[in-house]
Amino acid sequence: MKIFFSRLYLLAFLALTAGFIFLIWNLTFGEILEEYHQRKKATEIVKDREQKKKKREEITFQKVILEGDETVKHYLGYRILQEKRIEGHFHHIDFDVGPDKINYCIECHGDIPHDKVKGIRAFGNMHASFIACQTCHIRLEGVAKSGIFKWYDRTTGEIVASPVRAGVQPGTYKAKILPFETIDGEPQRIDTQDKIDFAREYEKNEQSLTEVQKSKAKKIIHKQVSKKPYTCADCHQREAPLLSFEDLGYPKHRIDTIVSTEVIGMIKNYTQLYIPRLLDPGFGQHQSKQ
Amino acid sequence: MLTYQTRRSILLLFLLLFGMAFVSAANSESADVGNCLLCHKYPGLSRVDEEGRFRLFYVNEDIFDKSVHTRVKCEDCHTDIKKIPHDTPKKVDCFVQCHIVEPSSEQKFSHKEVAKFLAASVHGEVAKQGNPKKHPEDLPSCKDCHDNPLYRPLSFFKRVRPGISETAMGRCRVCHKKDDFIFRFYNHVTTRLHKIRNPKNIAEVCARCHDDPELVKRHDLSTRAAYSYGETFHGKAAHFLDERIPDCLDCHVKRGESVHQMLSHNDPQSITYKTNKAKICANIECHPKASPKLADYKIHAEFNFEQGTAQYYFKIFFIALTGGVLLPMMGIMFLDVLRRLLPNAGLNRKK
Repeated sequence: MKIFFSRLYLLAFLALTAGFIFLIWNLTFGEILEEYHQRKKATEIVKDREQKKKKREEITFQKVILEGDETVKHYLGYRILQEKRIEGHFHHIDFDVGPDKINYCIECHGDIPHDKVKGIRAFGNMHASFIACQTCHIRLEGVAKSGIFKWYDRTTGEIVASPVRAGVQPGTYKAKILPFETIDGEPQRIDTQDKIDFAREYEKNEQSLTEVQKSKAKKIIHKQVSKKPYTCADCHQREAPLLSFEDLGYPKHRIDTIVSTEVIGMIKNYTQLYIPRLLDPGFGQHQSKQ
Repeated sequence: MLTYQTRRSILLLFLLLFGMAFVSAANSESADVGNCLLCHKYPGLSRVDEEGRFRLFYVNEDIFDKSVHTRVKCEDCHTDIKKIPHDTPKKVDCFVQCHIVEPSSEQKFSHKEVAKFLAASVHGEVAKQGNPKKHPEDLPSCKDCHDNPLYRPLSFFKRVRPGISETAMGRCRVCHKKDDFIFRFYNHVTTRLHKIRNPKNIAEVCARCHDDPELVKRHDLSTRAAYSYGETFHGKAAHFLDERIPDCLDCHVKRGESVHQMLSHNDPQSITYKTNKAKICANIECHPKASPKLADYKIHAEFNFEQGTAQYYFKIFFIALTGGVLLPMMGIMFLDVLRRLLPNAGLNRKK
């Protein structure tokens, strides 16, 4: 027993000495090295900025918000609010949905792809954050039309239960809505592994392909894409909305909001400053003050 | 004589109008009277603008409700939005008059005074002599330093701690019946009784410009201010979130003045002017008995080549001496303990 405790004592002393070595290194030579690297980094930042000025980088929601490296922590005392910092953005954002690693359209088109139609571009991008591109851009007709839409996990791709729940802020879902098509009488998700692999293979080899090959590949990738995508009014209507909101797990009060006069009226360019909050009363009012 | 059906219609109309008035009144305290959050509650509401900048139009309502602007209506700042859906709005002018009435003067509230302070400060676009400064695009505007300021309430009941004192709130409820009012008033007052931002956050804000190597070079600044602050005792304590420690604003702004009235250290009116700066350290909340000499030490020393070659080598020598003595000593100690722990171990020991 005595030997055991003496060994234990020596082991603890050894760990303590190693800890001190680490600490002293960090505070002395480590500090000098750190300073050297910081100096080097500062020069690189200047160079990097100059390069960025020359070559405008592709901007995606994922790069700026979900994977952006500039984070700010607000030390409020009673809590720490950590969020991504967007230069010049006044309002706080604080949300975490994680990047969509499954949707292959965004690899070429980006995840804020709508920029043509001035009136609805931001709305299009907003919907793209929780609806897969295929939902609006592929019109399934005839036997292929299943009428089934499900949620898939943005990270794993698995079909998951509806993320629309009380306490979850609308649009901050870690899942997206995806259409299912009927093949051989069976409904199956529209983004099959073959399609994903083909699109990713194309993106990988794009530089080495001839124009004819590129054109052919693009035609295959976009084979199902409709020239006229579904419009806002196809879902925002009471009679026969494209998406079955109930099946997608939307509670009644949310469905009422989605197909409310406010939304439908706005879509029809109903211009009015004051929209009464009759159908969405109390939404977001803080449940607890602290 | 009114028929039964007409009377019923009038009654229904009356009830409907009464109901609408009630709902409107219930929401009248919310900033979102125009129901802007119908769309702006969605985080994905965004686009890339014509200049290629990412624009996010999302407003987190929960956080907004805990900010100092919680009662300001969206259209008070975004004044040109008159219809929904709206066109691309103008850039927000922070100096615009809003609908909040300042209770002591009963005038509509605005940040106009800040504009005057800022123009006369070291961050103003025109120098004191009246000539425009070089690189005005580098000088800060409101949003360079401020995002939406958040409440940082304090409780003083028995002891000072962050957060809200339910006991104090209970006292307020005796006279004031609206919980929303009490909550806001409590937050407003206690947030203003101390810094709205933690010293570390303040240093980070200043660092965005004052530690930017390009900007430091362009404006011929003598130091990376936030970095060198971080090297001091004050900076180290701020790093560990000490709230009592002085931050940039405590030393660079005359006590009792707005932080926007920051002056150059060459300005005789400035608190950092050579003949005034002793007052910074010797103020009642910091080192009241300090000799004026205390303020003479080089606060923003980086000990680098640019600021002083001798000091730099002096620093390197002492760091190397400390490491050079302590590391071998600890190394020997480590090996000694290792031998005691494993007395027979060896790499090439003969049997």
